[in-house]
Amino acid sequence: MKIRFWGVRGSFAMPGREFLRYGGNTTSVELVTNAGERLLIDLGTGATELAKQLMGGAFGKGQGSLPILLSHTHLDHIQGLPFFTPFFIKGNSIRILGANPTQLSLEATLQNQLAPHYSPLNGLENLAAGVTIETFDPGAAIAFPGFTVRTVAVPHGSMWTTAFRITADGKTVAYLSDVEYPDVDNPLAEALALARGADLLIHDAMHADDDYELRRGWGHSPARAGVVVAERAGAKKLALFHHSPDATDDMIDQVVKATSERTKIPVFAAAEGSYLDV
Amino acid sequence: MQITFWGVRGSYPVPGAATVRYGGQTSCVEARSTRGDCVIVDAGTGMRALGNKLVREARGPQNYDVLLSHVHWDHIQGLPFFSPAYVPGTRIAVHALLTAADELQQVIGGITRHEFFPMPLEAVPAQFDFHQVEPGVAFDLGAFHITPIALNHPFGSVGYRLDADGTSWAYVSDTAPFDKVLHKQHFLSGPEPLTDADRAALAAMREELVARLAGVDTVVYDTHFVPEEYERFPHYGHSTPDQALEICVEAKVRRLVLYHHAPSHSDEQMDQIAAKYRAAGLDAGVEVVTSCEGMTLAIGRNGQGPTVEVERTNPGIGPP
Repeated sequence: MKIRFWGVRGSFAMPGREFLRYGGNTTSVELVTNAGERLLIDLGTGATELAKQLMGGAFGKGQGSLPILLSHTHLDHIQGLPFFTPFFIKGNSIRILGANPTQLSLEATLQNQLAPHYSPLNGLENLAAGVTIETFDPGAAIAFPGFTVRTVAVPHGSMWTTAFRITADGKTVAYLSDVEYPDVDNPLAEALALARGADLLIHDAMHADDDYELRRGWGHSPARAGVVVAERAGAKKLALFHHSPDATDDMIDQVVKATSERTKIPVFAAAEGSYLDV
Repeated sequence: MQITFWGVRGSYPVPGAATVRYGGQTSCVEARSTRGDCVIVDAGTGMRALGNKLVREARGPQNYDVLLSHVHWDHIQGLPFFSPAYVPGTRIAVHALLTAADELQQVIGGITRHEFFPMPLEAVPAQFDFHQVEPGVAFDLGAFHITPIALNHPFGSVGYRLDADGTSWAYVSDTAPFDKVLHKQHFLSGPEPLTDADRAALAAMREELVARLAGVDTVVYDTHFVPEEYERFPHYGHSTPDQALEICVEAKVRRLVLYHHAPSHSDEQMDQIAAKYRAAGLDAGVEVVTSCEGMTLAIGRNGQGPTVEVERTNPGIGPP
């Protein structure tokens, strides 16, 4: 299985020179099996860059199919949706899967995003591709061609998000973005179970350890939380993810250095770039 | 009076190496009168950095006025990230085109629904007030005399002429030209045949725009597309620099500012666009400037010749 980070930034897209090495696009992560099957997690602005690549292949001819998992519907995880060009090509088949975010359904939430006030698309029904919106209850297991996925709800400030454990080609990736544990140094058992033995743990690291105290309760983790999860769950590698919009490349370098000194597990900061072997 | 560009991009923010000079944040312009009164036009992603600057400069809570052209995401999604909104005692007045102020509150408040954002607008410390604007009905905010102007964009949009300090500028974004497509309140998968009434409505809108822009010093205009892109997507609701220049020549505007750059336009493409239309403007008697993030323009002619008071708030950004 290969992975490519198309967007690693949390909350807000950050253009500019200080954000070039790690990238300024909001969250979107692509997973590809050895056989070429593809799964996308989240539709932040990073998805618009993936879209350009996809349009050069089957999706440009209306012959593409793609499952997309949404961790939740905060804007930084869906703001690429109206600009994900494979949606505009008739014949493409795209599944969007997520939990219902509130009493409002996932479909109604995405319809709200595309409501005529906000978007000239004026509703999901105007996407030319075949698009299905499918919901699951967190805890569900889902199978896609080439992938099996386990889901669990984790706390995220005033709401919760879905974390994913994705297995393909005998390798496992755990995606724990947008999470804040009630006790940051004692992560929830559900999170540990999800990350158990993962080859790669992708964890919310929105805050440097020292600025976390100012941001407690907003639903994000300090970098050290991922270390605790990785060590207790026996994950083999840790990717710090969902970088703060205020974190310049140099600041992220510092966070990686400080975090690496806390653990023997290899730590890196997720960066927009090329395909990595899991 | 001066204006500063905090976001110049259309549709969605575009990080990356290809946009470092012109900037990747979406629509937001700060206008300042000589005595320091401030009006913010559009609340795209550029508004986050503006808010951070305003909080650094302010001593205590302030009042802010925000004019919205319309409420497509690229023009409003900076609002929940505008840091003055989190300073208790701040008042933020939002002026926009909708059928009623309470509808406006619902629609703007809707972007901070629980599903989209962790804190609803009602819960932020600042007091938000909503004011409906109507094309042609002018109003005053501090030193500014403001006239909304109807534009041609899906679900409606307004431009604004702002007069202050004996000079004027106008914000004309987002808008399509006034010939092929009349935007209404439904989805267009392509241009629809125009009725006679549609053609008359387009002609009237264009005539009104030219009249309102008459003699304005500086016009910031939606020039999202280059002509070949426009030909492919005439129903997307955006203009080209050629169409903007035509309007500005007719209205005898001194300076045209290209704005709302397509997300696909790299810095190199923007350099080409800037050079091409600077030259076209010279031939047509209009100074053409291409906006970039961090650019400040003085409004009003100081002495003879073209204006060169372009100050770069962020020296890392801007055309060469």
